[in-house]
Amino acid sequence: MTTLPTPRPGHEGPEVPPLITASPGGRRRRPSGEPPPLPRHIDHSIRWYLALAGIAGALWAAMSVPAVLGLITRADLAVLHVVAAVRTAWLTRLMLDVNALASPWTVRLLAFGTIAVLVAYRRFQHLAAYLVIFLAAVLLLSAMRLEIGRMRPTGIEILGPWQGYAQPSQPVATLTLALVGVLYTLMPAGRWRNRGKWAAGIILAAVCAARLYLAVEHPTDQLTALIVGWPLAVVAFWLAVPNDVFPVSYRGGRKAHLDIGGRRGSAIVTALDHQLGLAVTGVEPFGLEGSAGSTPLRIQVRGPASDKTVLFGKLYTLSHLWSDRWYKLARTVIYGRLEDEKPFSTVRRLAEYEDHLLRLMRDAGLPTPRPYGFAEITPEREYLIVMEFFEGGREIRGAQVDDRVIDDALRVVRRLWDAGVAHRDIKPSNILVRDGSVLLIDVAFATVRPTPWRQAVDLANMMLTLALASTPEHVYERALSLFAADDVAEAFAACRSITIPSQLRSLIRADGRDLTGRFGQLAPPRRPIPIQLWDIKRVAITAGLFAALAAAVALFGIYLSVAGLL
Amino acid sequence: MTPRRGARSLQRRAPRGPLGVLLATVILAAGAALSGCAASSGTVPGCGDPLRLAIIAQSVSSASYVPCISGLAPGWNTSGFDPTQDGTSFLLNSDRSPGQPVTVRLTATCNVSGASPSPSRAPGVLTYTRLDSISPRFVGALYDVFPGGCISYGFDFALGSQIALVEQFEDAIGLYPRQQLRLILKQKLGIELSP
Repeated sequence: MTTLPTPRPGHEGPEVPPLITASPGGRRRRPSGEPPPLPRHIDHSIRWYLALAGIAGALWAAMSVPAVLGLITRADLAVLHVVAAVRTAWLTRLMLDVNALASPWTVRLLAFGTIAVLVAYRRFQHLAAYLVIFLAAVLLLSAMRLEIGRMRPTGIEILGPWQGYAQPSQPVATLTLALVGVLYTLMPAGRWRNRGKWAAGIILAAVCAARLYLAVEHPTDQLTALIVGWPLAVVAFWLAVPNDVFPVSYRGGRKAHLDIGGRRGSAIVTALDHQLGLAVTGVEPFGLEGSAGSTPLRIQVRGPASDKTVLFGKLYTLSHLWSDRWYKLARTVIYGRLEDEKPFSTVRRLAEYEDHLLRLMRDAGLPTPRPYGFAEITPEREYLIVMEFFEGGREIRGAQVDDRVIDDALRVVRRLWDAGVAHRDIKPSNILVRDGSVLLIDVAFATVRPTPWRQAVDLANMMLTLALASTPEHVYERALSLFAADDVAEAFAACRSITIPSQLRSLIRADGRDLTGRFGQLAPPRRPIPIQLWDIKRVAITAGLFAALAAAVALFGIYLSVAGLL
Repeated sequence: MTPRRGARSLQRRAPRGPLGVLLATVILAAGAALSGCAASSGTVPGCGDPLRLAIIAQSVSSASYVPCISGLAPGWNTSGFDPTQDGTSFLLNSDRSPGQPVTVRLTATCNVSGASPSPSRAPGVLTYTRLDSISPRFVGALYDVFPGGCISYGFDFALGSQIALVEQFEDAIGLYPRQQLRLILKQKLGIELSP
């Protein structure tokens, strides 16, 4: 293997100088005690909900004193007697029908529907939060029912079916929990969720009114049930899956990108100003459809001479960290431990790693975006990495691919090899062309000192990408000026369907030509390189995963029983 | 030499704010769950806890007695306490008869055909015993019949220990008079048990 010419200079766009002077305040160290740009925020509604939870706790405590319980019960009965005064035959029939809404079947339907949708959209954080919150609430309710042991209303005819102690009302609480679960795990925040809240409120109001009419429970039994089912559950969802980190969205499938308006938008501007010395004049989402691992941003910056420059940013949060973890676990189990698949422990590490690789690749002379560092938006929760925006760069699919572009693209792989780096995600959307020069983006998956196998796969994927806009024969011929024939043979001996990024794979399928096969024919014969590497660790992880799945199924059965969903 | 500034604490309270609330909620829920689980072994009200017995009385509003736990012999516990508008049922479990609990039911009426009278367990109560099988297992039912209600005890014991087990579960269940319950509710809560 010989070292061949390095990339031609000139791939870099106009340099954006440090903008310290352009920022009104310039870079500024945050003093101890000063809140970060986007501090964790508690809504007023959350404070109210916590206060309501306190009321439920106070009521339960009061009910443990017989004299107070008697007082509360007498007040409850007075209300029920007033309601009972309007009883008529037709109204009773109607109320019995309305009361059927609180049947276990309604709750089961809502709960299983919610679980099914969350699984279908792979919202596992929401699913885990939903299951834990539902179970915790049901256990809390069950424990309180046993602890208080309150009888049903007396001195008034009970017209509806009932089961168990009255306080807190189980049907009202579980129906509320199921409705809140739908609202906070399935409905996008904003208009739809607000409408849903009204609908849920109307349903609950009707059910509560019906149950009071039928005198199956006291008003205070409903009050505590509603508090546990709504405010307490909302607080728990807010803590477990805060909407600004785990937004519910159906745009772009399961890719839940963050809202960069409002407080977060202001925080981004402040953070970039104080931490990177960038005078930001505008931030907007960019290329969301191509990114599931972060929220990509187009950042407009004012230069020292008041000229406008555009930078590219990637906002990483906890949800992206979890996506990375699941992705790596899946790769380890399905494909074998091909590379270092150890997940990042924090969001900060995720941003640090990409920033490090951008600098490393720049030092290696690769045509990757110039790094501008990263800013901390919320400590350990949100970080924004900033880099050069390749203004005028076009995805290779839509660009003119001539010999110059082909040579330049192959030279990039050559340079990666020489620098001891693998990109690991070479596909058309990550290769841009500007003024006949090839630019490489999205280095987040790259690795240093990769296996020879992984380096060979980078070459194969680059040749396949180029062949889409040309012919395998032509790309092969050009490759021989930069690589030995054995290198190409190794690349396609290592190439499998699973080693090709999904975008490239689908484009090859749409193209119709057997590009991989043709390259294999052109290159010298070589036995396929096995990629399913079964080491002890992979066996253990796979076995552990299957055991965990089996345990999860068994536990889920127990869960459904304990949560009253069977 | 430097401007004055208050000392900052290095020992951060962890967790703070919302995280603390979450932790508290989880601990509360776990505590509640644990207490609930613990209580599940003794969910049936004891005869010394009349306020909890009221719901059993409500399940059969005509019953002049309600069943309660007067005392469990070692190795016994209760589960499945289920008061509804149609009656109350629960299970008495013995570690000497695993998987074969005694099923206790309070209903408005019982069918005691085929059952033989036994010594009465309380004033105004007629007790009957019906044996469906003696060997290979001791299977049958006991009935306490009183004005407005009936308590049935279905059992299915292995031979050898059946005499002791029957005695123990009979001793475990007490009969609490409705009239007395009504008085206590009036005294303690100021409410009338209907009817």
